[in-house]
Amino acid sequence: MKRVVHYLVAALVVFLLWELVSVSLLAVRGRVILPGPVATIREGIQHVSELSSAFGASALRFSIALSIAFFLGLPAGLVLGFERGLYQVFSPLIYLTYPIPPVALLVFLYLAFGVGEAVKIVVVTCALFFQVLVAAQGAARGIPRTYVTAVRSAGASRWQLYRHVVVPATLPAVLTAARVSVGLGITMLYVVETKLGLVGGPKTGLGRFIEYYTFRAELSLAGVVGLSLLGLMFYALLELLERWLCRWKHLGGPGAP
Amino acid sequence: MIEVEGLTVSYGAGRRTVLALAGVSLSVAEGELVAVVGPSGCGKSTLLFTLDGLIPPTQGVVRIGGQMVQGVRRDVALILQDAGLLPWKTVLANAELGLRIQGRRGDVREVLEELGLAGFERRYPGELSEGMRRRVGIARALALNPKVFLMDEPMANLDSITRQRIQDLILKLWQGFHFTGVLVTHDIEEAVFLGQRIFVFSPRPGRLVEVVENPEVGTSKYRDSAQFLARVRHLRQVLVESGT
Ligand SMILES: Nc1ncnc2c1ncn2[C@@H]1O[C@H](COP(=O)(O)OP(=O)(O)OP(=O)(O)O)[C@@H](O)[C@H]1O
Ligand SMILES: [Mg+2]
Repeated sequence: MKRVVHYLVAALVVFLLWELVSVSLLAVRGRVILPGPVATIREGIQHVSELSSAFGASALRFSIALSIAFFLGLPAGLVLGFERGLYQVFSPLIYLTYPIPPVALLVFLYLAFGVGEAVKIVVVTCALFFQVLVAAQGAARGIPRTYVTAVRSAGASRWQLYRHVVVPATLPAVLTAARVSVGLGITMLYVVETKLGLVGGPKTGLGRFIEYYTFRAELSLAGVVGLSLLGLMFYALLELLERWLCRWKHLGGPGAP
Repeated sequence: MIEVEGLTVSYGAGRRTVLALAGVSLSVAEGELVAVVGPSGCGKSTLLFTLDGLIPPTQGVVRIGGQMVQGVRRDVALILQDAGLLPWKTVLANAELGLRIQGRRGDVREVLEELGLAGFERRYPGELSEGMRRRVGIARALALNPKVFLMDEPMANLDSITRQRIQDLILKLWQGFHFTGVLVTHDIEEAVFLGQRIFVFSPRPGRLVEVVENPEVGTSKYRDSAQFLARVRHLRQVLVESGT
């Protein structure tokens, strides 16, 4: 509840700053450069159904991309980080491909996956996948030996080792990494919803909305607000998930954050 | 119960090989409680890991109950140097861990109660004192009802009151459960209080340099007796003479 209040206060501060910038630009340049929050929200409410369907389309894409990134990236990263031999073989491969931004390969992805829905999801998935993979791998490499020994001493199988040690030990770091990557994912989503949206395929999503209304500044900005809410939503979701799944990380006491 | 012959263990390979144990031979009778003392890094933990089947001998053989040790055994339990609790599991889940992994049923609540941990079942290790964490580690091993109990400095870095309490606890458990116990310790008095025989190891690579007989273990008020003090003095003498 306290956190909700924090977010509301923060939103208020953002709105005030926004209004301030908007008013100063108006005063300096003599015409509306950046519409204020009130006008933006008013426009947004007038087009609420169009805006919310764009939000829904973007949210769906992002959820699918995030889920795929998790279901592929988490196990792959954990295995690559935990199994010594595999790490040595595959880590150069990962570090070579990791820095390539998927947008740089857009043309090829476009040729490979067509111009429809798939390619949009593929690009966002790629961006998030590598973040999850690298975080999982790093966390799995750093698991203290004593946890592994404790479980091995009881006669644990490989599977039990993952279930009782590797997954729970790395989950906080992986969820945090995923949370931090939401911004990157939203950026990628925006890119594919605009640039590719023009070429063809379903014309939906907030990126498309923002671009389509470029010359109706208030409406376009309402789309931007939608995009930031989308990011916030996933950020909060991942944080809640982390707090729920990793309760042991959030105990009280003098060392508590 | 435990027979070790010519045990040599080295870590790593090539030029970076570390020899931890060199030609150790010893045996522990069934139901006997022995202590292992030696300087830091002499291979005490390594000895326990080998007895537990966690690392294979580089040379030599280890037998438990007449069988060669190859991999971990269900009737041998190990208490790790730092208790080895999993911070993401509650006290109850940590205590049950061994049983669950082995797919066995059993009630650990009784054991937790015995060790004064009743009421803390749902707490996480991060919420406990160091002494309580050690007791959870003991509970986890005890729950397996093992024939052989390997204990790696279960009292290290505890205050002297807690230390004594856990020493008394281990003695009581040994008298009640009749397990065969190997206790690794840094502490001379602890070794004399709990080791019917005390194996003294040299600095790395660890070799067995002396065995001190100490049959009075478990007799009433042993800790306060003149015999105890004399034994402590003797062991200290042995450690000095062996250059450890
Ligand atoms: N995984 C490992 N790889 C390489 N060397 C190791 C490894 N584990 C232990 N050693 C080395 O083997 C030697 C014996 O280690 P061990 O942990 O058995 O000593 P110890 O007697 O238990 O010491 P302490 O009293 O400090 O717990 C040490 O010199 C240590 O540096
Ligand atoms: Mg040790």
